[in-house]
Amino acid sequence: MELLAQGIVSGILVGGLYALMSIGISLSWGALKIINLAHFAFILLSAYVVYQLAVTFEVDPLLMILVVVPLFFVLGVVVQIFFHLVKIDEFKSLIVSFGLFIIFQSVMQTIWSADFRRIGPELNPYETQSFFIGNIAFPLPQLAAFITALLIAGGMWLIFTRTYFGKAVRAVAQDPEMARAFGVDSRRVAVILSGLSTAFSALAGVFIAVGQTMFPELAIAWFGIVFPIVILGGLGNSLGTLTAGVIIGVAAGVSSVLWGPLSAPLVTFLILLAALLFRPDGLLTKRSVA
Amino acid sequence: MSSRVKTLIGFGIVALVLGFAPNLQETLELPRFYLIFLFTIFFWISQASSWNILTGYSGYFSFGQGAFFGVGVYTVGVLVVKQGWSFITALPMAGIFAGLTGLLLGLVVFRVRRLTGEIFALTTLAIAFVLASVARLSPTIDGGTGIFTTGVPIPEFLGEFNIAVYRLTLVIALLTVLAAYLIYDSRIGWGLFSIRDDEPVAEGLGVPTFRFKMIALGTNAFFAGLMGGVWALQLGFVTIDDVFNIRVPLFVILMSVLGGMQHWMGPVVGAVIITTLTDRLNSAGLADVNQIIIGAMLVVLALAVREGVYVRMRRRWLATAVTFFGVLALVRLLGINESLISDFAYAMVATVLVMLLPDRIWESFGGAVRPKPAVAEVPEPDDLTRTG
Repeated sequence: MELLAQGIVSGILVGGLYALMSIGISLSWGALKIINLAHFAFILLSAYVVYQLAVTFEVDPLLMILVVVPLFFVLGVVVQIFFHLVKIDEFKSLIVSFGLFIIFQSVMQTIWSADFRRIGPELNPYETQSFFIGNIAFPLPQLAAFITALLIAGGMWLIFTRTYFGKAVRAVAQDPEMARAFGVDSRRVAVILSGLSTAFSALAGVFIAVGQTMFPELAIAWFGIVFPIVILGGLGNSLGTLTAGVIIGVAAGVSSVLWGPLSAPLVTFLILLAALLFRPDGLLTKRSVA
Repeated sequence: MSSRVKTLIGFGIVALVLGFAPNLQETLELPRFYLIFLFTIFFWISQASSWNILTGYSGYFSFGQGAFFGVGVYTVGVLVVKQGWSFITALPMAGIFAGLTGLLLGLVVFRVRRLTGEIFALTTLAIAFVLASVARLSPTIDGGTGIFTTGVPIPEFLGEFNIAVYRLTLVIALLTVLAAYLIYDSRIGWGLFSIRDDEPVAEGLGVPTFRFKMIALGTNAFFAGLMGGVWALQLGFVTIDDVFNIRVPLFVILMSVLGGMQHWMGPVVGAVIITTLTDRLNSAGLADVNQIIIGAMLVVLALAVREGVYVRMRRRWLATAVTFFGVLALVRLLGINESLISDFAYAMVATVLVMLLPDRIWESFGGAVRPKPAVAEVPEPDDLTRTG
């Protein structure tokens, strides 16, 4: 029973990290109509950069947030400008970003090799720390990732519903031509949004660098988890993505406790199929934010 | 003679020539490597052509090739090594199981009316991970230990190992391309093209879209699995990470985008070119950079060529022939390369580059290049005046 409760708690916390990994992809797909598979590589790249900086300069890995987030914002801006230049559409974005993903992943494999990498305990005190409520542990890196995801999902929801920028994003998502006719600089909106979503992916990378072991194949393995969350959450819906992340996290956590860790991808996929059959627009949405 | 009869005669000639290639290799005492190189090409021709039946014809982009291929590999691995079937009875099962996997997937995803092509694409990408995790979980399939297929007995009439693999891959590749051609040249093909252009309209005009999509997906999965069954022998040691990875979908997409997805010959041309290039890159010790080059090519080609190289080669057959054989003769005479395959690689790269030249440059050469539009183009009426 306690094991199950721990499974659920871990699932919720891990779900926060999953959601953080998914928000960028969801925003870019929902609002910009660009399915950016390169995000998976961005997350891992950010994790490797944090690892490299922390090990080289012997600094606290969490401080690296200040470095990678602006860096990846710029990367997102550059990628979006490139997409604009080549006039990409939703369908082409799949192939092109798949190519980008392969390039980034091979580069990472060349630089950091296929070995397992992790930040040593002398630099990374967070990995082993946990809060306890009763006998149930709340590991610190996952808790931090969950809170960050909560803040970002809530923040994006506020921005989308309460600010002019949010209104502009929604207008661009609905009809870029018409938004432009009403004076929305759709290119600038797209560039900022792409920068933001890449920065969110970079944040996810920081928590992965702090919380777990890294290897190049990881980027591919995430796919089976992140894509169901994006669909279940509804495209461009940040709160929905967080909810979906928690659901998938709990389902994977509980199934790991009951049937072993390898059953998690199967359970996740079944949830995805159910979502596609019954709620193809997303869990929470009457109509998606975007 | 109708064009179909001509094409089928062409098939027969190619089949005969390639079928006797092993004998030729033995009499001329050419290196055994040529045989292996050729059946690697056959493998990719079959994978790319079968992928194109679904994706090129119907427009439903699939990342599922690796999953279907993997089902085929593991069917042979499990049935032959663990259950003691003979290889020849297990091989058709590889195709059938993969085909059933495809149909099962189609039954779910094609039933959801609002499912867009993009979501279909990502679902097919997810399926490989699920199958990998099932294989890892189940000790009857793999259980994480891998399967040795090196000692699998092959029927005597196929000859020794490399020749047997050569013959099997050749037959399957020919069957795949034949299927791709026959579908292309039939009512189903036209139906699939109409789905690619505009599915709701096609459905409104009475095209049985669900049935046609299922036929395309089933054929794709069947041949991918069948070839996977043969490849289980070639791999020697089957592991989950080697089989269910991103390599197979990546390469078939690149090959088809390069060759062209609108024509049944496109993936064949793409497979020959890409296999030759990667083989040369690997033997030049550039295996690390290889993947980066492949990714970069995919980005550039997806953005630059709309109809693929094959259609352009047909349109400019003279330029193609001159470039290809010119460069081939040149590098042969100069004797830069040890290997004949390198010479072919140079000629192919040159031809592809010439074909990728923009239309503007072709027009400056003169001659009949592009028919001028018969009617003067009417400028589009302004959107605002129309609605206002």
